[in-house]
Parts: sequence; C-alpha cells; structure tokens
Amino acid sequence: MIHVKSLSKTFTDPKLGTRNVVDNVSFDVRAGEVFGLLGPNGAGKTTTLRMIATLLKPSSGTATLNGADIVTDPGKVRSQIGFLSGDMGVYARLTPRETLNYYGKLNSMDEASRKSRIAELLTTLDMNSFADQRGDKLSTGMKQKMAIARTMLHDPPILILDEPTSGLDVPTARAIEATVMDAKKAGKCVLYSTHIMEEAEYLCDRIGVISGGKLKITGTMEELRVHTGKQRLREIFLDLLGLAA
Amino acid sequence: MRFSIIKAIVQKELLDLIRDRRALISMFFIPLVVFPLLVRAGSTLIPRLQDQATTEARARTIPVRVETPAVLKALESLDFKLDTAPIGDLKAMVESQKASAAVEEVAGSPPEIRIYADFSNPGSSATAAQIQTSLIGLREQTIRETLRGKGVDVGVLNPFKIDRENAAGQRKMAGSVWGTVLGYMLMLMMFSGGMYPVMDMSVGEKERKTIEALLVSPAGRGEIVTGKILTAVISILTTSILTTGGMIFSFRSINVSSQDPGGARLREMLGTIPLDSQSLLMLAATLLPLACFAASLMFALGVFARSFKEAQTYLAPLLMFVIFPAIAGGLPGFKMTPILSLIPIFNASQIIRGILVGDVTTVNFAVTTLANLAYAAMAFLFAKTLFERETVLFRT
Repeated sequence: MIHVKSLSKTFTDPKLGTRNVVDNVSFDVRAGEVFGLLGPNGAGKTTTLRMIATLLKPSSGTATLNGADIVTDPGKVRSQIGFLSGDMGVYARLTPRETLNYYGKLNSMDEASRKSRIAELLTTLDMNSFADQRGDKLSTGMKQKMAIARTMLHDPPILILDEPTSGLDVPTARAIEATVMDAKKAGKCVLYSTHIMEEAEYLCDRIGVISGGKLKITGTMEELRVHTGKQRLREIFLDLLGLAA
Repeated sequence: MRFSIIKAIVQKELLDLIRDRRALISMFFIPLVVFPLLVRAGSTLIPRLQDQATTEARARTIPVRVETPAVLKALESLDFKLDTAPIGDLKAMVESQKASAAVEEVAGSPPEIRIYADFSNPGSSATAAQIQTSLIGLREQTIRETLRGKGVDVGVLNPFKIDRENAAGQRKMAGSVWGTVLGYMLMLMMFSGGMYPVMDMSVGEKERKTIEALLVSPAGRGEIVTGKILTAVISILTTSILTTGGMIFSFRSINVSSQDPGGARLREMLGTIPLDSQSLLMLAATLLPLACFAASLMFALGVFARSFKEAQTYLAPLLMFVIFPAIAGGLPGFKMTPILSLIPIFNASQIIRGILVGDVTTVNFAVTTLANLAYAAMAFLFAKTLFERETVLFRT
C-alpha cells in the first residue's frame, strides 16, 4: 500500500546552511500491517511522514500510496489517507460534530454518509458527551479523540500517525491504540511514529529505526532481536543508535 | 476548483467568524453601536460644552476701559457684568484668565476699540464675537446718523446688493460632503474591519495548529485560498456596508438646535447619501474588486507571518499605505485622469467621490475598475503562491 523509494529532503537555512533531514529512505508498508517508525528527536520521522502525507515536497525520491504518487498526484493521495499528529489543534469555536461535518464535506461525503459516519465515530470513540461542546472547552484527551475521529471520518485505507499518543493520559492513549488495532484488523495500512518503545512493541508488526535522516534497519521484532542480539525494543533501539543500553 | 469544497470552506469560516467576539466587535459592534454613540455623544456634548463655556464667560466681569460714551452704552446694553475702572494691563488679565474678555479704547483719529480675547477658549471667543457684533452695529448706526445729519441718503452705503446662490443643489452638495469622507471611511473600514478575520483565517490556522489537518484533506490549496478569501471579502463588504449605514443613521440623529437652520440643513445633507440605482451599481463595481484586493493582500501577509503578533506588525503599517491615498482621493482638488486611475486605493476613493457628486467619466471609471480587478487578481495569485510554498507554511 505504501511504497517509499529513496525519499530525501534537504532544508536550506541562511544561518544553519543546507541540512539533509531525510536521506535516501526506502520502505514498504502492506495492507493490514502497522509499521512503526522509531527515532530520536530530530531524526527525520516527522519530515518523512509529512512528505508521505503530501505536506512537504521531497527533494528527491518519491512514494506511492495505493498506486498514487505523492509528487505527481498529491490530491489522490490525500483522499486515501488519514493523517494525525500529537500536536494537532482543533477549531476553538466549532464543536467536534461541526468540525467532523466540515471535514466530511472536504472529503466530498454526501450529507447522509456524513451524518451516519459521524454518529458511528462519536459512539465508537465515546465522544457523545462532548460532541456539541466548543473546541476551546475540550480537554487534551477530548481534543485528541476529536482528531482521531477526523482522521478516520472518510474511512481511509491508509493511516499516517505521527506520535499520536504524545502527551496523553493512559486511558486516551489506550483508546488510540485500540483504534489502531481495529484499523489493522479492518485491513488498513498504518504508518506509526512514536517515542514510546512499549507502544511500538505492542502495536507494530514491523519497525524501522531512523537516525540522522537515514533508515538504519527495518524488520519484525524477531528480526531486530536477531540482528542486534538484544531482547527489548528499548535495548535494540539504543544499540542501533550506537548508545549503550 | 470544486464549488462544493469552496462553499464548505466559506460556510465553516463564516460560522467560525460569527462566533468570534473580536470579529463581531470589528464587524458589527463598532459600525452599528460605537460609531453612532460617538457621533450622538459628540453632537450632544460639544454644543453643551460650548453653551457652558459661554455661560461661564458671561458670568465673569469684563474689564472695560473706554472713553467714548456711545461705546460704553453699547457694551452696557449687552448682558455682561462690566468693570469700568479696571486697574492694570487688560491683555495680561485675559491671558492669565482673570477675565474672559476685555475692551480697551486706544486714543487716535479715529480711536481704536481693541477687544482682547483668548481664542483658544470657546467661551472667551464667543464673548469677544458678541462684543464685536455689538460694536459693528454701533459703528453702522453712527455712520447712518452722521449721513442723515448731513442730508445724505443712507442708500449710498449700499449702491448694490451682493448675493451668493448655490447652483450645486442639495444632492450635489451632499455628494461633495460624502465624497470627501465616504471613500476614506470605506477604504479604512475595508482594511481595518477585514484585518482580524483575515488573520484568524490565515496565521490563525498556523497558531491553532489546525493547518496540517486542512492541508492533508482532499481540498486543493487553490480551493482553500479561494474559500478563505471569499469569506474575507464577505466580512469586508459587511463591515463597509454597516459602517456606511451606521454613519447615515448617526448623522441623521445629530442633535441640532431648532433655532439653527444651518445645522438642520447639514443634518439633512449628511443623513442622505445621494445614490440612485446606477450610482449604487457603480459603487458596488468599484468596491468589489477593491474588497478582493484587500482580502487577498491581507491574506498573503497573514499566511507569511509566523504568529498573530507578527501578522499585526505586517498589517498595521499597511493601514498607513491605505489612509493617505484614500484621503487624497477624496479631496476635491484632484482632477481624475486615466493615469491617476491606475493608483490603487486613490483611484477608488476618487471614483467614489465622482459617483457621489455625479461627476465621473466612463473612461476613468472603466480604467479604475479594470486596474483594481487586475490588482485583485495579482494579489490573489500572490496569496495562492505563498499558500503553496512549504517554506512559508511551515516556517518557524
């Protein structure tokens, strides 16, 4: 479903000069699979995900999502993805129901489909109690649930989740994890970036470790254990970064 | 471009806008409440303060040092308390506010009657004016009596009458007055009234961190920009129309004394904008491209800014670039030419004045409208280009 080929991104800054933030990254994510992208701060995870989500244009290389190219056909890519990051905001003066209705329209859903899908998501994510509260009255957890609902609204076959549980309490984080597992069961392709090793170990079928813009390794937990000789993902991660566990 | 997507964006932005207290204040509260209240308060307060100052001045003693009995008699006939034996420098007494006005006769041939007043003080000024009127009356009466005494017909003083008659008519006069202020007010309200909504829709998306979700939606960048700029145009035109309505309402309700026919005429004139259906159409054709230009330009600056604060530093100076050409365009001295019709803001202000006075040529109107349409298109493309640049959208 996701085929990333030699993806690179260079930023030029008058003060910092030219920086290779993502350097020749390639990997694949299949349908019904959760692929975890792990890396320290500044490793290039978010830039990689932003390029795949068509927010940024690659300096070289490309990716195809369900056959659509991110460079030549970004509109088609966007209609097939749900993108979520940990620090996404909400419209302060709109309620979750209104926000979802808005995004339903942007996804060209007809009124009947919007209504039924919004009702379904509000129930699934336990949002009915605050569905008609303004965004500025919502707690962090409520906002993130709203963001998940918006991501899932048009039932996209591909989910790109950039540290979606960052800064959340355990119950809300678990709700997101459950949503990811449900998506996987439904045959969706999930690209998941996180800092939390336990979460990656629990959720991801395969893991890629990125550092300094380069993808160091990809594989299942078992393959990573064999490669590094370490058992826990935390140890494997530190070993791949060249740091003592 | 899909109309359904643009419509969805406009609907969402309008809903967001009408729930925003700050936008409501700039769009509705200021034109419909604050402005009429200020005009009402001003029209009530200023005459009251003037009356009060005159009453206070009248209650104070006026030092008078005159020798001519007729002059003294004329002054005594006024409703003032006079001190006919003052001590010291009369001018200094007025200057130090010990007296509201003073009258001094300077010997000579003919003698000079000097009135001292503090012209920065309305009460002192009014007192001096009353004294002067009385003394002019005395002088004319003296001339007439002298002529009669010498057997000369007093008619020699007025060999012919001079009368000025206004050929402009009330509509043109109203157009002239409104033409000076309306263009300026509309330009100012377009930019200042649209500023907050535009910032909220542009840099606000960045600051709220809602921009990523919007950009990864299937809505195209061009559709997003079009929807947001259309919303800004709606808010700008709403502010402009409400401001004009608020101004007319305010001027119609100005407090004017029943004994002041000039004031009543002014109220009548200001309370009526001289517009017929053709003028209204021309006004709409002038304002629409200008609103698109203003919305697109402010949107581009808003998109470029990193934060609300930064956007304010870009947009506030923009008002300066609007105010001066808008004022200049409303001045009656400028003769509109096709070349001047190319200067943005100035051209619209001039055309608005021309429409109101009923003095606009087809060439100037066409050049202005086409030029402003071109500027609007350029500003829109500039805004769209910026909105498509990741270095602008994600710069930190």
